[in-house]
Amino acid sequence: MRRFRYLVLALVLGCNDGLQPTTICDPNLVGVCGHITFRGAVPDSTLALYIVAYSTFPQSRADLFNFVPFPPQQLAPPTPGDSVEAYSLPLLNNQYHWILAVWAKVGLNPADTANADSHLMEAGFYRDLADTSKPGVVTVKSAGTGDIDFVVDFAHMHSVSYFFPP
Amino acid sequence: MTRRFVFLLTAVLAGPAAAQQTGTIVGSVRDSAGAPVAGAKIEAVGAAFTLTGADGRFVLTEIPAGSVRVRVVAFAFRPDSADLTVPAGDSVTWTVTLRAGVFYLPGLVVTAGKRPESLENVAASVAVLSDSAIARHAVNTIDEAVDRVPGVQFLNGQINIRGSSGFEQGLGARVLLLVDGVPMNEGDRGGIDWDLVPVDDAERVEVVKGAGSSLYGSAALGGVVNIITRDIPEGIHGRVRFFGGGFANPPDPRWKFRDFTGIQGGASLTGSFGTDQFRGALTVGGRHSDGYRQQDASDHVQVAGKGEWLPDPVTHVLFTGTWATHQYQVPLAWCGANECANMRGLTFQPFMVSDADTGNHTRSDHGYLTATVTRTPDENTTWMARASWLRTHFTDFQPQAGNDYAVADRFGAEGRVVKTPSKDQTVTVGAEATESQVTSDVFHNHTQEQFAAYGETERVMGRARLTAGARVDLLADDGGGMTAVISPHLAAVLPSEIGIWRASAGRGFRAASLAEKFVTLPIPPLRAVPNPHLRPETAWSGEIGNTAVITPWLTTDAAIFQTRASDYISPALAGDSIQFQNLQRARLTGLDVSVRASPFTPDLALGAAYTYLDARELAHDTIPNRPLPFRPRHLLTLSADYVRGPASVGVDFRYSSRIARVELDPTDPRVAAKVLDVRAGWRLGAFDLRLLATNVLNYVYTLAPRTLEPVATVTMTATYVY
Repeated sequence: MRRFRYLVLALVLGCNDGLQPTTICDPNLVGVCGHITFRGAVPDSTLALYIVAYSTFPQSRADLFNFVPFPPQQLAPPTPGDSVEAYSLPLLNNQYHWILAVWAKVGLNPADTANADSHLMEAGFYRDLADTSKPGVVTVKSAGTGDIDFVVDFAHMHSVSYFFPP
Repeated sequence: MTRRFVFLLTAVLAGPAAAQQTGTIVGSVRDSAGAPVAGAKIEAVGAAFTLTGADGRFVLTEIPAGSVRVRVVAFAFRPDSADLTVPAGDSVTWTVTLRAGVFYLPGLVVTAGKRPESLENVAASVAVLSDSAIARHAVNTIDEAVDRVPGVQFLNGQINIRGSSGFEQGLGARVLLLVDGVPMNEGDRGGIDWDLVPVDDAERVEVVKGAGSSLYGSAALGGVVNIITRDIPEGIHGRVRFFGGGFANPPDPRWKFRDFTGIQGGASLTGSFGTDQFRGALTVGGRHSDGYRQQDASDHVQVAGKGEWLPDPVTHVLFTGTWATHQYQVPLAWCGANECANMRGLTFQPFMVSDADTGNHTRSDHGYLTATVTRTPDENTTWMARASWLRTHFTDFQPQAGNDYAVADRFGAEGRVVKTPSKDQTVTVGAEATESQVTSDVFHNHTQEQFAAYGETERVMGRARLTAGARVDLLADDGGGMTAVISPHLAAVLPSEIGIWRASAGRGFRAASLAEKFVTLPIPPLRAVPNPHLRPETAWSGEIGNTAVITPWLTTDAAIFQTRASDYISPALAGDSIQFQNLQRARLTGLDVSVRASPFTPDLALGAAYTYLDARELAHDTIPNRPLPFRPRHLLTLSADYVRGPASVGVDFRYSSRIARVELDPTDPRVAAKVLDVRAGWRLGAFDLRLLATNVLNYVYTLAPRTLEPVATVTMTATYVY
């Protein structure tokens, strides 16, 4: 019976390599591109959704300001319901350890960091394919790096305190 | 006077005595699901034989009393036998349940030699799909059933037998389609409309692999497929069939192309009435499909009829006809890079069509009428005469490129005599004439004439059976000069201790279709231009094969084959033009191996078939030796069926290796095909319920350029037979 299970497993895995989607980055892009899968309803209080990258994973709240590009790139509002949208993010040649989408709430005052904890949320990030609990590392080298896909789940966003407790 | 009296006395006395020394065998033959098997051959060895009727029943009379061995053979079933004791002056009953068999079929076939003959005497490789095998696969069209025959593969609707056709956009099939023995390839494009016969009207499908031009002429270069429609039983009978199901959504959300789940469904109704002299049947049906990709919906309506007149026991007059209208959207090519307004950042969108093709759809009307008279004036002679008319009419509605159309009529006539001058020899001679007429804005107005005479003789010499024959075809276009093509054929069959050996060699040909010769069509940025000087393509084919029964539960069949082709017709680029030319010399070498087994229990049937194909385009001009396009090197089919009472389950797996070379869009991604189908059935009296799930792993693949093969599909089919 165990052999039969292995046979079925081998068959399923062997037949799971059909045509796969391949992402095309703009030929002129130096940066990353891919798809963001949006889940859940977009909150009514949404001010904007940004996509940013960090060359090293932030070690403190102060490091959160070390994102690129600056100013951050705003994503187009997703279509209602679950959807998949393509994006591209111009970046300089470098290695990036955290690429994420940041949700901003109406009332965000960029000059006042005191309300960042309640007005900025991590909405989703590119994950390590081998260990999806960790951020994935991406290298940009004078061209577009494709298939940097991740999920933005509006029902499971995380505040700054989630990463850096006060 | 005295002698006459003694004779009468002897006869009167001997009569009852003789009656007392013989008996009768009665019984019935059914399949493992309980359905009657019609046409099964029941033989009391050394005494007599008969065929089962539509109800599966038989009666064998005047069988010598005592122990007798009886055996039964039927299409698509494994043979069976038993030892019976026949009581003198009484009867014994033999009820037999046949197990399904697909690869070893010692029944009668009619296609290989244009006459009924035992399959074990045929020198060609022949596969037979019975109606029960078609029903078991729960398919809705004939081509879906033929696609499951080992060594056969469809590329976007174009049939390949041992890699014969490749993919030519439906133009010029190198396989001849017959319906009840009547050629049915289109008059303009030479292609095949697989919906000419409703799937439930097919009693069986015979697939002959290899060149068949020595009897059938043009198009039978790679093989012949003969759809044999059901016999009409006496009395009033009916059949109702419903099916419905749905298509899976794309496995990746970035390929999503609609907000609903696509469905398909349809129904057909057949009624028949038969007496001992007149019989008729009529089928009406229709189906709708949303398709599994963007712009892929289709609607199909069909009427098919069959009439038989049996004025005397040796004469059979057959009329058949069908009319089908098929309206379908045209997915054409999927979206390559930047061909759709919203590519969603992908390099290709296999479920979506190019913006340039948006709105395209086609209406295709086609039908045929045939009349055939067959007469057997004596036990050694059968003659046949037939006439046929096939019409195809398509209109491509193309909002952006402008509409195209073609109307083609193919008229055919044939006369044939089969004579058996001695028990060791059979002679077949015949003559055939065909005229195709086309009216079209892309193929223009042309005619094509073909006249042929053929002959074949088969002789039994010792244990061997030898066949020799030839056909001469005269071809002309628009009443012009004739081109002659000769197609000889030699074959032998030799039973031995290690199975039945078969060997054959012959020449086949295909005349260029009117479409290939005269097409004029803008295909931006190119333009297709005509080539009226196209010659017929020809090929020498040969094979050696063996069929063996290894054990009562294990049978094998194997064949090696080779085809050497000249003047292969294929499209060629010349500047900004594309034209069909006699370009290629090709060599196709391969191996077919199939195994069928019922280990452990007769209720379980396992099958495996493998085809290896080395298809090479031979070097010519500046072209090096290279693979022929659109031919996979490996084809593998695995199947398993288990029957338990009225229930049955089955699984099929098909693999074809990644196609090494394609002619169009060669940089597009392509993968090997790995398709897993699962099916289940339940038969309760006259009701038959079938569930079919195809491509259950929702494997995404393509065989023809930018054409997505079907995704996972679930279909439920219910049939009631009266």
